[in-house]
Amino acid sequence: MKIDNSLPLEYSTEENRLKILGFWIFLGAEIALFATLFATYFTLVNRTGNGPIGADIFEVTPVLIETILLLTSSFTIGLGINAMRHGSKNAMMVFFIITLALGAGFLGTEIFEFKHYVHIGAGLQVSAFTSILLTLLGTHGAHVTLGLFWGLFIVLQVKKRGLTPETTNKAFIYSLYWHFLDVVWIFIFSFVYLKGMM
Amino acid sequence: MNMKQLFPRGHVMGFIFSMVLTAVALGVVVYDLSFKTGMIVLLVTAFMQAGVQLVMFMHAGESEDKKAIYTNVYYALFIALVTIFGTLLTMIWGYQ
Amino acid sequence: MDYFDRFAVPHSSPMIVGSQIAIAVTVLAILVGVTYFKKWGYLWREWFTTVDHKRIGIMYILAALLMLFRGGADAILMRAQTAIPDNGLLDGQHYNEIFTTHGVVMILFMAMPFIIGLMNIVTPLQIGARDVAFPRLNAVSFWLFFWGAMLFNISFVVGGSPDAGWTAYFPLASVEFSESVGMNYYAIAIQIAGIGTLMTGINFIVTILKMRAPGMTLMKMPMFTWSILITNLIIVFAFPVLTVALALMTMDRLFGTNFFTMANGGSDMLWANLFWIWGHPEVYIVILPAFGIYSEIISTFARRNLYGYKSMVVSMVAISVLSFVVWAHHFFTMGHGAMVNGIFSITTMAIAVPTGIKIFNWLFTLWKGKIEFTVPMLYSLAFIPIFTIGGVTGVMLAMASADYQYHNTMFLVAHFHYVLIPGTVFAVLAGFTYWWPKIFNFQLSERIGKWAFWFIVVGFNVTFFPMFITGLDGQARRMYTYSEATGYGPLNLLSFVGALGLLIGFAFLVYNIYWSTRYAPRNVTSDPWNARSLEWATHSPVPEYNFAIVPEVDSSQAFWDSKNNGPALFKGKYKEIHMPNNSGVPFVLGIIFFVWGFAMVFSMWIFAIISTLGIFACMAHRSFEKDHGHHISVEEIEETEKKLRGANA
Repeated sequence: MKIDNSLPLEYSTEENRLKILGFWIFLGAEIALFATLFATYFTLVNRTGNGPIGADIFEVTPVLIETILLLTSSFTIGLGINAMRHGSKNAMMVFFIITLALGAGFLGTEIFEFKHYVHIGAGLQVSAFTSILLTLLGTHGAHVTLGLFWGLFIVLQVKKRGLTPETTNKAFIYSLYWHFLDVVWIFIFSFVYLKGMM
Repeated sequence: MNMKQLFPRGHVMGFIFSMVLTAVALGVVVYDLSFKTGMIVLLVTAFMQAGVQLVMFMHAGESEDKKAIYTNVYYALFIALVTIFGTLLTMIWGYQ
Repeated sequence: MDYFDRFAVPHSSPMIVGSQIAIAVTVLAILVGVTYFKKWGYLWREWFTTVDHKRIGIMYILAALLMLFRGGADAILMRAQTAIPDNGLLDGQHYNEIFTTHGVVMILFMAMPFIIGLMNIVTPLQIGARDVAFPRLNAVSFWLFFWGAMLFNISFVVGGSPDAGWTAYFPLASVEFSESVGMNYYAIAIQIAGIGTLMTGINFIVTILKMRAPGMTLMKMPMFTWSILITNLIIVFAFPVLTVALALMTMDRLFGTNFFTMANGGSDMLWANLFWIWGHPEVYIVILPAFGIYSEIISTFARRNLYGYKSMVVSMVAISVLSFVVWAHHFFTMGHGAMVNGIFSITTMAIAVPTGIKIFNWLFTLWKGKIEFTVPMLYSLAFIPIFTIGGVTGVMLAMASADYQYHNTMFLVAHFHYVLIPGTVFAVLAGFTYWWPKIFNFQLSERIGKWAFWFIVVGFNVTFFPMFITGLDGQARRMYTYSEATGYGPLNLLSFVGALGLLIGFAFLVYNIYWSTRYAPRNVTSDPWNARSLEWATHSPVPEYNFAIVPEVDSSQAFWDSKNNGPALFKGKYKEIHMPNNSGVPFVLGIIFFVWGFAMVFSMWIFAIISTLGIFACMAHRSFEKDHGHHISVEEIEETEKKLRGANA
């Protein structure tokens, strides 16, 4: 394997560079995926049938908690990658573990929020609006869940194998994924919750 | 590693900036704005947030594939806007 | 026993019972045969676990040919049913099922994999690469497509076929109007195959952007590679829309959500909207590679440089953008206002412009060329006028106000067959014949190939041209019968005769493969057509590593230049080559997806949960796995090269 030492470890081999570009293109596809969900949401948002409308069910507090948790986790994973580039395995792992903990906190709040919706009569089957609301949030939540496992695997690998071209490449790609989920959340926060409560 | 290396200026500034943007966006529910003004505020803050993540945290412009990555992102953005506004056009606005 | 009742076909008929028996017997025969001849090890080592883009390509094409005959059988049945008025061969329900599966199979499980197969085989060779960017992912793509296609195909013998048309419009596709599990098969099987296709898209974009031979700038890529780059770009951005639409459909049917329902605020037309946001780019996904194939073949057999390289590229890029902004022309009659119809009419007509530019470029390439009428060239020459008819009728359909007359008639059916058959089917047949010697080191018989060509071309026109006329007379599509008084009888009979002609043509194609495999002369040169691009610069059959030395190029037809006193392609000495290892995980993952899909179709949640865990286990395995591939030593390369040079002398 040819390793180019002038570049950060995660870019150091040709295979690594291919993977990073490939993941960016995958994120392009993810943008199209979430755009379709948003398009569906905007089409169905006022089609509430006999169910509640957004303003009836949205609450600021849990949403704000989720937003702050996720934005902070995006910050800490950025610090993790920064530490990784400085070659500090321990600092990187600490930041990654903080990130995962914040992600778990986000997910816990979201599960609580979902239970609340079902409880107040805004379950998945109630109306077109509740169907797409929970599907849009659920798709993002499923991405976060998958991300928690993925991140855990990477922390385990870094712990065992150290900072190698492979592990740093995985960690970097994972950070792209995590930042992307943050971007998606910003749009959900703005155009689902805030717009709905306006 | 010292604190300066652990918490580089750019990252910290990015984080503070994203918190400020969140607070500004939150303003649309706190203050009594018209729908139009509110939407403009949300559009501006959301896209600025996305920009912060993309450039400051995701390092979109750092590698030799910068051009491919930005082309990809712009193309995706174009498709996203076409999908969303096209759907609104055919499904809602077009019926008026 | 009640548990197993769900697997019964709701509208059984002798034909379906016959198929059930035939399928059971065939599967058994294959299993016994492979076991008897002790071929399991060979299949596993050489094919099921392969990550070699050439072998994956061959498997794609084999599967596509199989599906061509499945979809073709549906087509013949449809034409037979409508051959005479008030025919009783099929009842309405069966006719619905057959036109649905015909559409899905032909577009998603025949045209797409055939094209992806050719692109797998050719693209890395054309850019001078040793494999695709992500070989393992490529195998995953193939096995997801394959098992998705198999899942779709068992629908007509287990549980019932989908019956709401390949467009699956709501409310027809809802549980209320389509009670059997057929539409579940549709939603889930296409989902599985679609995920595979999305991964192919990412894989080939990275391959083309990052793995080109030194000197091959973007504007020096062969036209086929360009078309593949643009196609995959469209795949990456169109398929997520389908993923979402199918997921919403699945949730409506299985979990009682209200996306496309008629009650509780659901919007049935939203399905049509989402379907065509994917569906129209999909049309260009199957047509652009065809344009690439024709560009290669026409340039080769006219013995001229491709005319207007730059305008070809620009028009493809334009198509990639325009293909995303025309979708509403599929439902002009939905009832939105003049503004929306006007916008989409104009964008639709605009997309004819880049396509027209390409037609003229091919004509100018032919102009003053020394044309050689080989089988691939015949298909290419037939394509130009026939496709133009399809294109011109497309512009007719693009006019929203006129579309109210054409919509949902046989005119539309004739139009899209006039685009898709000369566009895609002729192209893949031409490409298949053209690149066959590269893969197998012998040529298909030109004589038998020409018989196949004439039957297919004449049969095609006899089948579909009458539909323009009956369509303008008002014959609706998807109607299983009509009365004699309508006067559609004679032309429909003519269509049936044409369909038989197509059948004979495809029989010739199969016979050609059989005959040539047995009798065609071996040891043709590695460049039997005197062609122009890099794939012909290496041996036939192509060694595992494609090129012993990575070529250096400085034009879009580097091989042609090097044959005509241009600079040498291969400079330097052999070096150790790094290649990826085989893996059984993609195959296993495909099977788990099949089980998952089957469990979802029949709402068997325990199996669904177990197989979901299986899928995640495969992903976790991949995360922790250490796989650095293997190296081919210089001695090994020398030995292989010596052997192959003997074969191609």
